[in-house]
Amino acid sequence: MSEELKIADDRMRFTKNTTSSRLALLAIVFDVLYFISIYKSDVGTYYYNIMIGASVVYNLIFLLATFLCSEGVKNYKRSYSKLMIVLGILQIVRIFILPASAHATVVGEPIESIWQVFNVSIPVSVANTVMSDGQFIRVSIYLVLSAICLFASAVINNKKSSALEAHIANLGLDKA
Amino acid sequence: MAELLIQHIDKIYDNNVQAVYDFNLNVKDGELIVLVGPSGCGKSTTLRMVAGLEDISAGHLILDGRDITKTPAKDRDMAMVFQNYALYGHMTIYENMAFSLTLRKENPNVIHKKVMAAAEILGLTNQLNKKPSQLSGGQRQRVAMGRSIVRNPKVFLFDEPLSNLDAKLRGATRREILLLHKRLQATMMYVTHDQTEALTLADRIVCMSMGHVQQVGTPLELYDKPDNLFVATFIGLPPMNIYETVFEEGMLKGKGFNVPLTDEEKDILKDHVGKKVSLGVRPEDIEEASEGGLPVKVFSNENLGMNTLVHGHLGTADGVRVSAKLRGWTNYKNGDQVYVHFKRKHFFDTETTKAIRKEG
Repeated sequence: MSEELKIADDRMRFTKNTTSSRLALLAIVFDVLYFISIYKSDVGTYYYNIMIGASVVYNLIFLLATFLCSEGVKNYKRSYSKLMIVLGILQIVRIFILPASAHATVVGEPIESIWQVFNVSIPVSVANTVMSDGQFIRVSIYLVLSAICLFASAVINNKKSSALEAHIANLGLDKA
Repeated sequence: MAELLIQHIDKIYDNNVQAVYDFNLNVKDGELIVLVGPSGCGKSTTLRMVAGLEDISAGHLILDGRDITKTPAKDRDMAMVFQNYALYGHMTIYENMAFSLTLRKENPNVIHKKVMAAAEILGLTNQLNKKPSQLSGGQRQRVAMGRSIVRNPKVFLFDEPLSNLDAKLRGATRREILLLHKRLQATMMYVTHDQTEALTLADRIVCMSMGHVQQVGTPLELYDKPDNLFVATFIGLPPMNIYETVFEEGMLKGKGFNVPLTDEEKDILKDHVGKKVSLGVRPEDIEEASEGGLPVKVFSNENLGMNTLVHGHLGTADGVRVSAKLRGWTNYKNGDQVYVHFKRKHFFDTETTKAIRKEG
């Protein structure tokens, strides 16, 4: 192992894992963008039922759990990596629950409009869904980005905490 | 390593109050200079001017040949240790020590090496993950010193760093600063009002009063050859006994006592015949004598272990007090009569307060 790597490992004894912690906080930011986007639309009107309630509760749980993870990984706690992987997978799964369902649900008559292409007017009929294509793509991106942040945070934390544990074992110290 | 020239520096505040008058000093490379004096004498102001925390009203400050009179504090390459530590409470000791280097965006591995080296020197390696609130006052002051060491500055400045510590800790931390100075061989300026700190730490002492430099010299020079009455009474504990006398008939005549002089002492005072002379005698330069010495009527006897501090009235007149540090353990009662002899005397011109010494 090179001298620089040894120093970098030793440095972890006294510094926080800010990279993982900040990535976890970024995952929270993307989740917030997701639910701001989804709740400001008409989804609530059409799905004013147990699904929306469950979604709200899950968002709260997600915020709390991810914040705890960000604090945990800051101190190189390896177990929090597993929790973050689970939360990341759930973020991907969420795309196929509320957003996908809202995107697939058609309400009322199709929306008639005229598209102008090279000075040619083309009448089109667009299905009137609860969630438009644009909004669906946007919320899906938010959830995917949130999941990517969680995975990256977990992987980095796992790598760093393994290196730190090995370094501490080498030094013959108890883990603080 | 650095040489600091302080040339004719004045400090005049906006309200026209002058705090420092014509301060002149050449701090040599690797020297530990202690500025000592009573509260309000201008020693901290001088240090703050050197640090760049106060503007210099007149004069020049030259570090390694470069005029830094107008240079901002951050660019002077000096590190200051304050009385109140000035540590960040929410950061660990490691983060506190690394902070200035992190701000400079130095390589984290280089920062780590420097912090670990400083922690090793100061015995803080096991405290690096703690917060300042978990440390004792002495340890916190060591952290403050560590924060300075990692910067590897040209000059270290200490502003009464031990004032917040209790007596025992102060002694221990003082020894650590001395060891640190020997180890780093760094140029240091240290401000204190405690003469014990000044005498034990300094290569040279600058004694100040009312904004004026009274004397610059080694601790022994200030103790042994004070230039004036202020330095004589300020340096030394208990302070020097001072008596107003007149030099007549080959002796010093005071109120209710006469002090005989040796031929050498008469020679020193030969130009002051009939004039007022202040006689200075250190308590430790007074010893018990058989009858024929100067009579002292005891009113207090303090046993200190190796010595006894005896306070009394000198001669026949009341009101002329004397403090004597007598060797051994004595048990004088209030009103006992003791005879003493002055082993060594200091003479000062009463009018000018300057020391009277043999030329050369």
